[in-house]
Amino acid sequence: MQREMKKPVWEKIAASPRTVTVVWVIGLVLVWEAGAFAVEAVKRTPENVLPHLYQILASVFSTKKVTASQTAVQIVIINACVTLGRAGIGFVIGAAAGYVLALCMRLSGAVEKTVFPYLMLVQMIPILGMAPIVLAVTRDIDKSRVIIAAILTFYPVAVNTLAGFKSIEKEKFELFHSYAATTPQIYVKMMIPASVPYLFTGLKISAPMAVTASILVDTLQGGGGLGCMLSQSLKHAMSIYVFWQIVFFSAFVGILSYYGIVLLERIVSPGRRNQTRNAGGAK
Amino acid sequence: MADTFISTRPDTNTSETVPEGQTAKTQIVIKNLSVTYKDDGTRGVTAALQDVNLEIRKGEFISLVGPSGCGKTTLLRVIADLIPSTAGDVFISGLTPREARLEKRFGIVFQNPVLMDWRTIRRNVCLPLELLKMPKPLRTKKVTEMLDLVGLQEFGHHYPCELSGGMQQRVGIARALAIDPKILLMDEPFSALDEFTKEKLHEDLLRIWRQTNKTVVFVTHNIQEAVFLSDRVVVFSPHPGRVTSVVNITLPRPRTAGMKNTVDFTELVAKVRSGFVGV
Repeated sequence: MQREMKKPVWEKIAASPRTVTVVWVIGLVLVWEAGAFAVEAVKRTPENVLPHLYQILASVFSTKKVTASQTAVQIVIINACVTLGRAGIGFVIGAAAGYVLALCMRLSGAVEKTVFPYLMLVQMIPILGMAPIVLAVTRDIDKSRVIIAAILTFYPVAVNTLAGFKSIEKEKFELFHSYAATTPQIYVKMMIPASVPYLFTGLKISAPMAVTASILVDTLQGGGGLGCMLSQSLKHAMSIYVFWQIVFFSAFVGILSYYGIVLLERIVSPGRRNQTRNAGGAK
Repeated sequence: MADTFISTRPDTNTSETVPEGQTAKTQIVIKNLSVTYKDDGTRGVTAALQDVNLEIRKGEFISLVGPSGCGKTTLLRVIADLIPSTAGDVFISGLTPREARLEKRFGIVFQNPVLMDWRTIRRNVCLPLELLKMPKPLRTKKVTEMLDLVGLQEFGHHYPCELSGGMQQRVGIARALAIDPKILLMDEPFSALDEFTKEKLHEDLLRIWRQTNKTVVFVTHNIQEAVFLSDRVVVFSPHPGRVTSVVNITLPRPRTAGMKNTVDFTELVAKVRSGFVGV
């Protein structure tokens, strides 16, 4: 009956992309734990260097207060809201500004010639150098978080969106020309929707960056936020597990921000999932 | 030679005074048309088209064939007002290409389907109607009608990426016909398709042409395709791009795939082929 190639189960598992993820996770856990055991053998306070993963996990569920009123996980969540809230606002502002600038560069060759070559400079200034300046100017850590996240978001979005505008096939313009479409119609019905995948490419690059940047800005001042707690716990002002929790939490949020954008893209532009197949043409 | 084609009515500007409904009415008049491209470098100018004279009748299926660089696409693009002419005149029912374009006389089908991949098939066909600000109930009706015409009723809510190349090109045809243009301009529309899909689309295109009575200007480099579809085949040759002969296709209508095996068909193909100069 079943003469068709029925692959053995293990082959199916090996072929699944999930398997790769699982292998990576297991590998990383093994390396981490090997390191933790090694550190444990030589250091007196191994948790400061490399604690076991179960210790970190236990600290998440621990009810022990590490400050006067808060447990470790409460500290992480409260400060995460402060930091990531600002990162989110900055991200949205930066994305909007980047998109509008790309639109302006597309609309006017003069703007493009003036702005585009120097746009890269923004990206080249290290965020560590820029953050104190922004803080000195705004004198407000919240505003600084927003601004830094916006600056980091702005560049990938602007550059990718502009690339998107430029990649639109000539025939699309000719088609609209043949219908005597007005310029606003060309933008609304064609150029803006056509640029959406490129906008999302920019957003995917910048979302984790915005998270990282706003954590970094926190470290500049003692006013709270993930980065602030990170440096405090590293200086033993509170439990070191706050540090480890933040490390994992921010890594998780960074990844989550990326997949959040992926999800948003699927919702916003449903027709593009199989574009590679489309590019194949006649079949 | 350009003057091997002798137009039946050389005085072109009178054509638009002929009232609607008359048979064999001239619709597109091309008179002494030349198009030269300026090279970006210092090499001077390239003659894409030189002294082309042609009359296209209303309701006619006419093919422009020739190797690449012969100016067949250039001619189509001049008619469509996508590029300007350098010398000579083009009139579409007495209008300049620009006026005709603004009057929405043309439906264009490109080599690539040029669909908006974020729009469903229905909304792709609807696009030109939206641009013309047609009221929504009318648009819906028209889109359904167009999808019926090209046989894609069931795919209205799919996205272009979910369709085969042949189906995408049908959508392109439906979209071009949605605004009910007088003239359907097709620029190598089937050249990216496989033979089987192409043959099916040939039959469908002829059926659609019969049903809608459009004038079709069809650019192709495929001689068999041109002979099979057309009333007349205009042969172009390159360097400089010019018309070297016009072949009347005397095969009866409706055309069937079986005709491709007949002696008549083969002879017509040979006649078209002999029109090429310097290839």
